[in-house]
Amino acid sequence: MFFKLVLKNGRRSRKENGLFFLSLIVSIIAFYIILSLENQDVMKFLLRMESDAVNKIYRLLPVLYGVSLFLLFFLVYFAGKYQIERRSHELGMYLMMGMRRSKLFAMMMAEDIFNSIFSLLIGIPIAIFLSEMISLITAKVVGLGIIGHRFTLSWKAVLWTFIGFFTIKFFAMLLFSGSVVKKEVISLLSDTQEKKQKRKRRGIGYVQVIAGILSLAVAYYTAIRGNAWESPLRFGMTVVLGIAGTFLWFHGAGLLLELTFRLKKTNRGLSTFTFRQLQENVFLRPASLAVSSLLILAALCCFGYGMSVSLEASGSEAHHIDYTFIDYSQSVPDKETADEEPSVKEILKNTGLDAEFSQLFEVKTGMPDDENAFSGEGFRRAVNSLGNSENVQSLSESLEYFTTPYFISLSGYNQILETDGKAPIELSGNQAALYSDQDFYFGERLDLLNEVLSQNPVIELNGVPFELKDQVYQTNLVVDRSITLALGVIIPDSVYDRLVTRNSDSYWNAVLKENLVQKEGLMQAMMGINERLNQTSLEYESYLQNMGRQLFYFIALGYITIYLAVIFLIIANTVMGVQFLMHQRKTGRRYHVLIRLGSSYKALCKSADKQIKWYFGLPVLTAAVSSFFGIQALFAGFISMEMKTEVPMLLKLGCAMIILLVVVEFIYIAAVTRLSRRQLLGMIENKREE
Amino acid sequence: MKEKLLDIQSLKKNYGKNGNVTKALNGITFQVLDREFLGIMGSSGSGKTTLLNCIATAVHPTEGEILLNGEDISAYKGKRLAEYRGKRIGYLFQNFELLDNLTGRENIMLPPAIQNVPEKEGAARLAQLAEYLEIEDILDKFPSQMSGGEKQRIAAARAMILNPDMLLADEPTGSLDSKNARSLMEKLSLLNQQDGSTILMVTHDCNAASYCSRILFIQDGRIFHELRRKYPKETQQDFYERILSVMAQLGGGSANVL
Repeated sequence: MFFKLVLKNGRRSRKENGLFFLSLIVSIIAFYIILSLENQDVMKFLLRMESDAVNKIYRLLPVLYGVSLFLLFFLVYFAGKYQIERRSHELGMYLMMGMRRSKLFAMMMAEDIFNSIFSLLIGIPIAIFLSEMISLITAKVVGLGIIGHRFTLSWKAVLWTFIGFFTIKFFAMLLFSGSVVKKEVISLLSDTQEKKQKRKRRGIGYVQVIAGILSLAVAYYTAIRGNAWESPLRFGMTVVLGIAGTFLWFHGAGLLLELTFRLKKTNRGLSTFTFRQLQENVFLRPASLAVSSLLILAALCCFGYGMSVSLEASGSEAHHIDYTFIDYSQSVPDKETADEEPSVKEILKNTGLDAEFSQLFEVKTGMPDDENAFSGEGFRRAVNSLGNSENVQSLSESLEYFTTPYFISLSGYNQILETDGKAPIELSGNQAALYSDQDFYFGERLDLLNEVLSQNPVIELNGVPFELKDQVYQTNLVVDRSITLALGVIIPDSVYDRLVTRNSDSYWNAVLKENLVQKEGLMQAMMGINERLNQTSLEYESYLQNMGRQLFYFIALGYITIYLAVIFLIIANTVMGVQFLMHQRKTGRRYHVLIRLGSSYKALCKSADKQIKWYFGLPVLTAAVSSFFGIQALFAGFISMEMKTEVPMLLKLGCAMIILLVVVEFIYIAAVTRLSRRQLLGMIENKREE
Repeated sequence: MKEKLLDIQSLKKNYGKNGNVTKALNGITFQVLDREFLGIMGSSGSGKTTLLNCIATAVHPTEGEILLNGEDISAYKGKRLAEYRGKRIGYLFQNFELLDNLTGRENIMLPPAIQNVPEKEGAARLAQLAEYLEIEDILDKFPSQMSGGEKQRIAAARAMILNPDMLLADEPTGSLDSKNARSLMEKLSLLNQQDGSTILMVTHDCNAASYCSRILFIQDGRIFHELRRKYPKETQQDFYERILSVMAQLGGGSANVL
């Protein structure tokens, strides 16, 4: 009998509080996915390439897991508390009918455990499926191919999801059950827990609103000015001001609502009722609304940051070279052993590896023997002739260091261009071309540079004037993206050989044969070649390692921040949704009275819809406004130079954030509206039957 | 001769299904005349609240007709039903049923807002009712700041704001102390006499019933007896005593017979 009752009650509470139940399942899924991160194809691959950094991330996972658990506890506590309050009468009846308190306690705990097991049984399989899908999709997106994907079930992740989920549910339930069981029977039975209408003194309310707006304004100001990152103290101040401002704002928001309502002349239909319901909701729960709003803000900032990092990483240049070998046989003539060192070509030939490459060519770069051989004065003059704008000034300042640039031999560079499918550079006797790395010149600065070059400015090499070609060349010199040249000068081989005799570095770039890549996939092919190369004395950098480094940032930051954003959004919205529905149920009698006063079901639904929109709208809008400044602060503090100047990127980011927010809120508002209507109909029908 | 406002014809209401049927109303027939103050009395379970709920369209009768000015109200649906509930009847509940998050004024102005009555019209009527019911000072208070009597007077104003054809009152003094109960009944009586409002009141409080002009006694879903106050010679005190004796017969007498 006891067990039957537990099963029945469990089923009923799942049905009545579907939104909460669904959110629990989603958080279980999120837990499993983050805990099984190690099993993702991309992570496994990264571990082989960048084990140090990946291990650092793995060490961070438990912290992330802990934070999510804490937040989930917040959700379970809020939603569970209302659920228990709603059942208070029923629980009182059990006691009146002679159920012992210990048994009641056991029953409530058993119900909860039963429901937890149920959500785990649904959540874990979905989580495993989704985790596999994410693994496949990310592998595909980053170009690893799906070769070698194996289905993996992380028992460790399942176990920890179980443990974490049960722990918070258990503690939350212990708190509620304890408080319910301790209560007097009569206070359980008398279900009227409606709080007395709080009449806040207007003065205090307005002071709160003004103080809230002021502290938010100060926080916003320091955030966009970028001052917030100057010192931990300033950072702390900004955060504290922002949080305090949000809380104060919501404490006073009820009064602001009243003010706007008073200004509105017509009170047709249920507008007074709608407004009062909303006001009561905001009055009674300013703290949880503020927390929800802050969570949404955190979600938006995390999402924005994660997106920008991913965009930056995925926007990296296309690859055209697979390997770069460093040839020591030529580069360091002053080294005694140099002559004994076999050349790259020889080693590759001896090991038979040269058969795997379709192209192998040398690129020479180096510094001139004579430190004063180069003069960029003519180039700088051309820059200064463009005017006095901020960009011109900063370009001119950066050119002050353009005194001893690296020289690049034309033939090697032309071969690089050829592998990239670009036209080679043609230089006549006294011509040179400018090379710059994409990380240094992009956006407006790049345009400016090209504008200067369109005048064909003149540089001097050993006193001989050389005219610069009219565009900047940005195709990478070597595969390794951590080797970069801000500015280099591409010169004809004959000039190069004359100017650079001592400090010349020789890089051998290689491209894998296409049929090998097609047969095995890029990842597998490179892994195989790498293993063979490791047995030689060659120093090399492969696209794979290089990609690993980039992927690491892309995956780690993107994954974690977007994960947090999802958790935050789910928790904030569920808390709001559950609270709204609980309030509606608690004030169900009012809807019944309205029907008796001649209101139609349609009018009630309209009123409820309006309440929902405003109830969600207030925290969401507050968060959206704050996130505008929050993202700016993140940009000021964290994001690279490249992102700062690229306006379209910011725009893209803004759009992505708005879309995310709109989609999530739309789903939640639609779900809550549906539940609210069903609840209203149920309440009205129940009353009619009585 | 007063006109017939409400005509109730062999009204039946059964609860439950199959073999387990409770007959709450077992073929009740009576009329309510215009400007009448009719009381309905009976012990608990006699069916008086069911009767009121049928008239208020909160429950569907199983059989029989309820005609308001010759129209069958059970045929009302949708907009007409809402209009009937909102405009043509006013309902006074035992436990006031004020919306506790609305002020007194907002509670009273709710029916005009729902029925889209111009605000000015409602405001004029409110001023009149507030004076009658002596609630001017509490209009801007929330229900939690009012006494029981004040709450019920606000509820009465809400029920009367749209000049309904008839006021239905379900044990309006049930949650009040004797002083507040007397004050409320005096106000209702005043509304009936001066304003010409028709009132149908269900009660088992003999004191409250003594304000009525006619009383129907219900037992087991049937009309069992009827009392009329003899104006002007019968005092309220005499009428009260007559009611008491019928109630004694209803409770004690019939119990002894059975």
